[in-house]
Amino acid sequence: MKKIFYYSALCLAIAITSSCSKVDNYPAPSDTLTGSTIDEATGKTLQTEVGGGGTRVKLLETSYSANPVPEYFQSKQDGTFNNTKVFAATYKISVEGPFVPLVQTDNTGNVVSDSSQTVVLKGSATVNFKVQPFLRVEWVGSPVVNADKSVTVQVKVTRGTNNPAYQSDVTNINLYVSNTQYDGSNNYDPRYSTLVSYNGSTGTALLGQTISITTTGGALPDQDVYFRVGARINAGLNQYNYTTPVSAH
Amino acid sequence: MKKFKYIFLVLLVAGISACRKLNIPPKNIIQDPQVFTSTGGIQAYMARIYSELPIEDFRYSPDMGLNFFWIIKPTPATTGEALSRDQGGSTGENFGGWHWDVWAGNYTTIHDCDYFIQTLPTYASTYTPAQVNAWLGEAYFVRAMTYFALVKRFGGVPIVNKVLNYTPGSDVADLKVPRSSEQAVWDQIGSDLDFAIANLPAVNSDYGDGTRANKFVAAAFKSRAMLYAGSIAKYNTATLFDAAKNQLCGIPSTAAAGYFQKAYDAAKLLDGQYSLYLSAWSPTDKAAQYQNFVNLFSDPASKENIFVRQYQYPNSVHGYDAYNVPRQLMGPNGYSSEVNPTLDFVEKFGGLPKNPDGTLKTLDASGHYILFNNTMDIFANVEPRLRASVILPGDVFKGQNIEIRRGIYTGPSAGGISPLLPAGSKSQYPSTNLVVSSNSGQTAYKLPDGTLMNPAGLSGVFTGDQTCAISGFSVRKWLNPNLATSQVLENNETQTWIEMRYAEVLLNKAEAAAELASLGQTGSINTSDAFTIVNQIRSRAGATLLAGAGDAKIDTVRAERRKELAFENKTYWDLKRWRIFDKEQNGTIYRVLMPFYSAQAGKYFFDQRTDERNNVYTYDTRWYYEQIPGGAISKSSNLIQNPGY
Repeated sequence: MKKIFYYSALCLAIAITSSCSKVDNYPAPSDTLTGSTIDEATGKTLQTEVGGGGTRVKLLETSYSANPVPEYFQSKQDGTFNNTKVFAATYKISVEGPFVPLVQTDNTGNVVSDSSQTVVLKGSATVNFKVQPFLRVEWVGSPVVNADKSVTVQVKVTRGTNNPAYQSDVTNINLYVSNTQYDGSNNYDPRYSTLVSYNGSTGTALLGQTISITTTGGALPDQDVYFRVGARINAGLNQYNYTTPVSAH
Repeated sequence: MKKFKYIFLVLLVAGISACRKLNIPPKNIIQDPQVFTSTGGIQAYMARIYSELPIEDFRYSPDMGLNFFWIIKPTPATTGEALSRDQGGSTGENFGGWHWDVWAGNYTTIHDCDYFIQTLPTYASTYTPAQVNAWLGEAYFVRAMTYFALVKRFGGVPIVNKVLNYTPGSDVADLKVPRSSEQAVWDQIGSDLDFAIANLPAVNSDYGDGTRANKFVAAAFKSRAMLYAGSIAKYNTATLFDAAKNQLCGIPSTAAAGYFQKAYDAAKLLDGQYSLYLSAWSPTDKAAQYQNFVNLFSDPASKENIFVRQYQYPNSVHGYDAYNVPRQLMGPNGYSSEVNPTLDFVEKFGGLPKNPDGTLKTLDASGHYILFNNTMDIFANVEPRLRASVILPGDVFKGQNIEIRRGIYTGPSAGGISPLLPAGSKSQYPSTNLVVSSNSGQTAYKLPDGTLMNPAGLSGVFTGDQTCAISGFSVRKWLNPNLATSQVLENNETQTWIEMRYAEVLLNKAEAAAELASLGQTGSINTSDAFTIVNQIRSRAGATLLAGAGDAKIDTVRAERRKELAFENKTYWDLKRWRIFDKEQNGTIYRVLMPFYSAQAGKYFFDQRTDERNNVYTYDTRWYYEQIPGGAISKSSNLIQNPGY
């Protein structure tokens, strides 16, 4: 009896495991798409934040369907992107983020401009997008450690576009403090970061000026600390434009 | 051989007669004639579509969706009305989590309504025309409410007003209904509710207790829906178009006034039909005003109740009390204090000592803490509605003083006690001169006069486990004061959820009037309405009245609405439709009020600070239009995803 049980168990085990051996009839995606989002005026890649609140790449697989469901992947913090697991196909590619949209529609849905790039991906491809950021946030000098161990930074915020549709008031200029370089609106230490919201044109009046911002909450801890300033206007998904992250220690 | 012939014949005859019987409807499935030819069958159908009705009641939270029992990330903890130890910041709704299939669920309800609307006329001769019209009105009402639930989350959604049938082998392309424009969906809701208003009687003849729709229920929800649509038209900035230029997200701003007018007119239909609850109210007695506002949520005879959802043990239950009683009244399941009102919320009310900037006055002119004999002293003159909505530290509930204390200050009190932390500091409290408790197992501290006192109150604040009033307050609204602590259990509570009460209809009307006035469209409204209504609400609440009609601006009406409808799962949608969620929750840390006892002074003082956990609320503007579930798009690739996902 026991023997029968073990034999049948063995048979079942073989049957079950052999059914796993079938391989997927498609090879895994292995092509590479790299590129960057570049500030048209400065030629530097455009800083953004990691995660869902930053720049992302939009892929429309036009060789699959005339009206495909879009696929997205997220850009890195420094504005470059790299995806090594893309299927070989023809893609219409654009980027979305805190800059004048590459695909613009008017208020009745007409596409008025489209700077998407179409790429036939085979092996690997590089696409660079020249964009106009809503705001350009730049360091002025380096962070200064004050006597009370707080830190003061200086930045200059300017508009990155002359497009009249994206000239709305500056709503926030925030100094983010974090213990990693992945510093931004979704990752900061609220004890030390200085967040300022502006109503009306008070924030806009600061454009072009050197602004000093000091950390809050007194002395910073004795460890690696990264600073980053983000600013935004009310446009698109209200994402932030950033400086590069810098460390004070 | 002859025998075989006979047998053969018998078999043939038997075979022929059998053929007839094979093609009959299955006996074990209830068929249309059984459902639609008896009032009992209709009632069963109604029970189903009403139970599917998507309203945010005791069994809703953004994290776990509709009709779920476990509410530990309650809606008020996402709006800034309150803090919860389980809610760490802003949130959109979580459609993928737990069991909530928002898309298929709501379209099932719409299908059920469509099927009813299509099928009932076939059986109309069984009933009086009045019955048929009323039931059809209810189906249109439920369908409108379901489209409302979809459009407020996603913007334009597919409009499916007839039952879609799949014929095996046929092309499914025409079943993949694309999204309509957002405006078309709001107009669909408006026309469905218009049908309901025209066809429903003034009192539902099956159930007249507010659990099923009547003409005025439909009108009340029309005022809510049209006000929502008007707000989108006026305040929304996100847009999305499909290839045919239908505006899937957003409504042209020119449409705003039309919607506000519809909201106003629909609210006006209820004039004289319902009234604000005043049974225990007195114009002069604050205690009576408090008791009246408490009773409002439990009196089944209230003329303020327009549409309610009832519960019944054990078939349909919730656990509101189990999750929300103050810590010292915790029930056997071990839950408590999930909704802890913030100081930001409490400061919206009148009758509190305030600084010029509107914050609570807790320091004297020399910058020292003001000392109180009792924690309730600072709230001595507070508006009764606040006491009925929030349990203040030291107030009485279920015959007990609800004791909320952060700790005992053992430092010197002579010459005044200086603030424990610099203003605005987000640091932890210093450990010197403070005795605190990390949980409810406390070690009493010996006061200078020799008596013993626990460092924390019975309802907190405990620094370790946070199963307590982490904000210094606990919620009062909806709690059943007569429920024995042994019965404070999950899946055991049955108090009625009031989804629509007359106060909201009045506030809808006031807001629509204020919006129309701001748009310069005062032709067909009574411009004093906003002023009159705010004062009606304030008078019942025991609050200070507005002085002049000029004070009744949009912001005043909104502020009144947030106080009146707090903890009723309405503020979440208001902040959304006003498109101010992202302004209010922009790196925001909500404020709390911590009562301390000074051992040397023998008195209490209050420290106001930001949430000690430093939970940051940042609302993602994408959430104004929620992400359409990926599963829905996989099934119907014509669906275009909302922006940013």
